Amino acid sequence: MDFLSITKLIASLSLIFSISLILYQWISLLKKPKVMDYSAPKGSSLKGIIYAFTLGMAPWTKESTRKHWILYLRGILFHIGIFSALFLFILRILLNYTPHLILFPLALFACIGALMGLAGILLRILERNLREISNFDDHLSLWLVSIFLFLVVLSSISSPFTPYMFIFSSLMLLYVPFSKIRHFLYFFFSRIFFGIHIGKRGILRKLEVIHGK
Amino acid sequence: MENNGVESALKVLEKQLNKPLITALEVCARCGICAESCHYYVSEPSLKHVPAWRAEQLRKIYRKKYNLFAKLFPKIFGGKELDEKTLEELSEMAFSECTLCRRCTFNCPLGVDTPLIMKTLRAMAVAGGKAPEMLTMLADSAIEKGKNPEFFKELFLQQIKELEKELQKIVGDPDAKIPVGKKGARVLYVALAGAHTIIPPAIIFYAVKENWTLSLYEAANYGVFLGDTERAKLIAKRIIDEAKELGVQEVVIAECGHACAALVWEAPNWFKEKFPFRMRNIVELIAEYVEKGLLKLDKSKNPEPITYHDSCNLARTSGIFREPRIVLNAVAENFIEMNPHGIENYCCGGGGGLVALPEYEEKRLKAGKPKAEQIRRTGAKIVCAACENCRLQINDLNSNYNLNVKVVSLAELVVNAIVIDRKKKFKEERAEERVSLR
Repeated sequence: MDFLSITKLIASLSLIFSISLILYQWISLLKKPKVMDYSAPKGSSLKGIIYAFTLGMAPWTKESTRKHWILYLRGILFHIGIFSALFLFILRILLNYTPHLILFPLALFACIGALMGLAGILLRILERNLREISNFDDHLSLWLVSIFLFLVVLSSISSPFTPYMFIFSSLMLLYVPFSKIRHFLYFFFSRIFFGIHIGKRGILRKLEVIHGK
Repeated sequence: MENNGVESALKVLEKQLNKPLITALEVCARCGICAESCHYYVSEPSLKHVPAWRAEQLRKIYRKKYNLFAKLFPKIFGGKELDEKTLEELSEMAFSECTLCRRCTFNCPLGVDTPLIMKTLRAMAVAGGKAPEMLTMLADSAIEKGKNPEFFKELFLQQIKELEKELQKIVGDPDAKIPVGKKGARVLYVALAGAHTIIPPAIIFYAVKENWTLSLYEAANYGVFLGDTERAKLIAKRIIDEAKELGVQEVVIAECGHACAALVWEAPNWFKEKFPFRMRNIVELIAEYVEKGLLKLDKSKNPEPITYHDSCNLARTSGIFREPRIVLNAVAENFIEMNPHGIENYCCGGGGGLVALPEYEEKRLKAGKPKAEQIRRTGAKIVCAACENCRLQINDLNSNYNLNVKVVSLAELVVNAIVIDRKKKFKEERAEERVSLR
């Protein structure tokens, strides 16, 4: 086995390990007793959930994202970059090549994501509130993910980087289930609960009375 | 002894770790975007007023117990052991630095339920013996009242008889009643302590010829402020049992945010029961009367500029923000919206039981500054709020910030605008006149 194959194997095992632990955490959460809600609905929970995952994520629906749309955009681009890089990473494991039609746009998004990650690192160091509410895990997670994005882009441009990308990715993937990065798992639950709240309590169907100018 | 409080608090945390709480504890990205959504932060931009920072204080305790890395390397991975001193600090924060208004949740890209985390801290504080004495006392006295209703019933009925005379005088009808304990009534109205929450609704019910009865109990539930489900349940039980005994079709709650939220959205889950009657706030019922044309209203009786404060528990918790506006548009000549309003409204700063805690008066007046500025910017002379605690807070803000406004309930504005033809006997004594509480 050559160096590339060894690192590819390590990366594959790390991915399996990471997915397994994340799945375990997901199942553990699902196994928690269902919180029954006996209150009489004023609206539809399902519509609330749909809203929470669609229009409810739009920047104009919240005062915070209207005011801080640049930060919001930074976050969106960062996460699009992450998904793009993960997709490229998995393709590199499963196939020996990536079709150019997919490679270029994904690498571009990953590159933008990496730059947004760097912006996030700087923000977390320079902005007082972020600096104070962050712990070591917050910083480390952001560094790991941002470097991962950079390495995925580099390995897309130049193959010699690929083994190092696999090694680094393995470290990151081994860390994911224990770190802040796993918050992506809880994102879905959080939006579902929020959606149920605004749907069932009739808040959603009265969006004409939301805010002032 | 010291460890017992901490152990009890940690047991409460363990017991409350359900899906919503675990999600709230794990999902935060610590992006900090919640900061400016909090009225505390807007009035004083300090770190301790960032909702994510507050929630992080419980997350540290949670991680130390449940996260491997935080157990092994707490300082690095944000874990912290709960001790007596920390429990005291967390309790102070939970009761005085968060009004559970949900504005942060609505502004969070992830929807982190920070109020749920604060309520958990409150419950932990109660278990650890650190809850504010006043709230505990108020909750316990309500529970005692529920255990011995016959003890105070006689006195209550006497007081109601006096109020009934006042009602009769106002509406010009010697037969007007404030029924108590009326079996088969359609509506059981649950007031708060105070004639101001009984007389105006009684006038409205008289005007629409509602088949109603007054509850023996008050709607206020201090168990909710404590985050103590057991106490909250006992307080609510009095009203639930009364409603069942009288066979009413609906329970209508006074203009009170937390009482409405507690009875409508939480009580069914405390009792694990779908009640055989509807429950809603009186604001919703009045809006229904208005929409059905059951009330004869004259807007010109409320000519001054009026603005409306959306109570957090009515708007963000209970979805009641269209109904007050239906009513206001029918009774006010000059209604001015605050900015922002509706579900984006700022908390008045008096929620979560704060108005009942004199030791935190300075904090809540400071936290109410954004609300005071909102009111001032409208140029309104009257502030209408459909929540008793909000009215108390806004009255204090009025004095503290020299707003020069009058604070009224929605029912008061409606009563002011109601046109009632007084009975002939009273007509002979005075010329036919419009009914007014002013």
